[in-house]
Amino acid sequence: MKVKVDKTVVASIVLHVLVLGWGLFTFSTKAFVMPEEDTVPVDVISADQLAKVTAGMRSGKKENPKPLVEKVAEAKPPQDDIMGKIDKTPVVTETAPPPQPKPVEKPVEKKPDPPKPVAKSEPKPEPKQVEKKPDMTDPIAEALKKEEKKPPPKPQAATPPKPQKPKERVFDEAKIAALLDKRDPAHQAVTGDTLNSNAALGTSKGKAEAIVATWRGAFAAAVRRCFNFPYNGLNADKFEADIDIYLRPDGTLASQPTIVAVRGPSESIGKAMAENAARAVVQCQAYSFLPKEQYETWKYIGMTFSLKDML
Amino acid sequence: MNEMKSFTRRRFMMATGSAVAILGSRATLAQRLRIDPNEFQPVPIAIPNFVGGAPSDGDVGVGVTQVITNNLKRSGLFAPIDQAAYIDKVVNIDAVPQFNNWKSINAQALVTGRMTRQGDGRLKAEFRLWDVATGQPLAGQQYFTQPENWRRIAHIISDQIYERLTGEKGYFDSRVVFVDETGSKERRVKRLALMDQDGANVRYLTRGSDLVITPRFSPSTQEITYMEFGQGEPRVYLLNVETGQREIVGNFPGMTFSPRFSPDGQRVIMSLQQGGNSNLFVMDLRSKSTTRLTDTPAIDTSPSYSPDGSYITFESDRGGKPQIYVMPAAGGQAQRISFGEGTYSTPVWSPRGDYIAFTKQGGGQFSIGIIKPDGSGERILTSGFHNEGPTFAPNGRVVMFFRDLGPGPNLFTVDISGRFEQRQPTPGYASDPAWSPLLS
Repeated sequence: MKVKVDKTVVASIVLHVLVLGWGLFTFSTKAFVMPEEDTVPVDVISADQLAKVTAGMRSGKKENPKPLVEKVAEAKPPQDDIMGKIDKTPVVTETAPPPQPKPVEKPVEKKPDPPKPVAKSEPKPEPKQVEKKPDMTDPIAEALKKEEKKPPPKPQAATPPKPQKPKERVFDEAKIAALLDKRDPAHQAVTGDTLNSNAALGTSKGKAEAIVATWRGAFAAAVRRCFNFPYNGLNADKFEADIDIYLRPDGTLASQPTIVAVRGPSESIGKAMAENAARAVVQCQAYSFLPKEQYETWKYIGMTFSLKDML
Repeated sequence: MNEMKSFTRRRFMMATGSAVAILGSRATLAQRLRIDPNEFQPVPIAIPNFVGGAPSDGDVGVGVTQVITNNLKRSGLFAPIDQAAYIDKVVNIDAVPQFNNWKSINAQALVTGRMTRQGDGRLKAEFRLWDVATGQPLAGQQYFTQPENWRRIAHIISDQIYERLTGEKGYFDSRVVFVDETGSKERRVKRLALMDQDGANVRYLTRGSDLVITPRFSPSTQEITYMEFGQGEPRVYLLNVETGQREIVGNFPGMTFSPRFSPDGQRVIMSLQQGGNSNLFVMDLRSKSTTRLTDTPAIDTSPSYSPDGSYITFESDRGGKPQIYVMPAAGGQAQRISFGEGTYSTPVWSPRGDYIAFTKQGGGQFSIGIIKPDGSGERILTSGFHNEGPTFAPNGRVVMFFRDLGPGPNLFTVDISGRFEQRQPTPGYASDPAWSPLLS
């Protein structure tokens, strides 16, 4: 009897050990498998923020009711479109040239499919858009402005988009159907454009953070462009400076940047670095690309500058 | 059982996932936007010619501007913008500059200045450092000096600019003593020479009749100690650069080597060879009393004090091969700090105390490197056929050394990140450099 009991106990222990060991092994190997390629900073955004982003995309494409799948497949017009968009964001201007070949190749394959007649109709509207875009900071923001203008009763910029969303969900069936009609073409166009530009950004220079869908990535990239501190010492990773800024809705600084805290082994170097960082923020304004409908989220920005990876 | 397990695991993962999500969202709320710099680029700086207070002072103004431009460029941290690109060619120091004209050529900082000869024959130098982005004045000074000292004024202004923009002390107002080498390889004449850190104002301190090596600057006075092979055995000498006064240090039985000053300049530490081994001794320059610091059958040499005078680093083969050791200044237990492949020699402590520079030999190469006093953070700055004799700039951020590629040695500088290496201008072949402290 005792022997039998021992066997089951032993068996259960062995099984437990096996299962736990297997679990540990598989989890640990998965952890080690992590590739050491450049990291993609991911901003965790709330559902509300996500809704705003998607809302912006949708409305952005309302301007182009005609573009369909066929149009996306075309060769030259999409390229111009991509370049125009890329030039607007600061970091993307650096990364834009290398990726060009890739978008070119894809359209070349597709060229045989769409015949010329289609091309005639499309190029006309699109060049016009390209001309307009440089004046305006963002087609999405532009579209949103138009939307805001349509319902004049509410003058405030921040409030209108919020009431719109619940309305879309609560609307009657007929209205929902109308919305769905708008969504379909917009969705196709958006994915076509976005995929191309993202692919180019990700591969060209490893600045993967520029893909981040929020304004934070674009803002960090813009400030980084002006931040260059003359430091040839070591321990660069130990220096940090916290700087707070307040922005106006047009993306300019509402006041001088505030140096909140400085950390590092040398006070004088840390101070010089913080001052340099504050000057960089001033130098790189105005940050007009920040989405105006999200002004409340970037009215105040707290930043931490570091010298990490400088050497 | 399987269902149970999978269920449990799924539940576990869900729980973990939600916990991570909660933590993530909380972290985001508290997170500040991180801005890491791009790869370092030298900071573009505009230095228009200093204007002359009178038309005759224009040449001095141009000279001062050139010295400052050269200094900042050689530091590797700044990229002076070519004057041909300037929109404003002449800048009045008394007026606020037109910053848009400097923004358009991408200048981050702007230096303006004026040189004026005074009624009493002295030269007045004024300068201002501006931040172009914000239009704020960052620094401004005026100096009076004898006209022949205009280069020093330029070095002092360079130090001010460097210090204001980097947060670190400058090193431009300093000198370097070195061994000037002329003649064929078989009949090489070695003279002790002194120059400004930028290679100007070379002065010869000895005539070249006797062989001189290992000159070392006092960290606190304008004195040099060096080794000279006279008629008899080599001796350690002390030389005052200003007065030319020379004296022998100590009178020991046997040869004395590798002398170096203590941080206060009151003592000289050296190694004394007796028989097959050598040990470290320190001599008080006032009382002439000597103290033995090591007593081993090994070869202990190349001692160097930490800047606070409490420790000594030296080279010893007590472990078999020459390695670097650190011990208390009064002697005692020595701790080995170098453990890499090959041999380590000529350790020298940075004036900032944070690093020890060394020469490393191994794999058929001579390298110049730095290591922290606790033995961590070893970093090779340059490698090659023959590199030797590192010496730190007064701010501990640049290392000078000599390199011999065959025909003769030349001096080079490299910053402690190893990024900017360049040749140091000298009149001829040169070796054994030793950097002075800041003159001011």
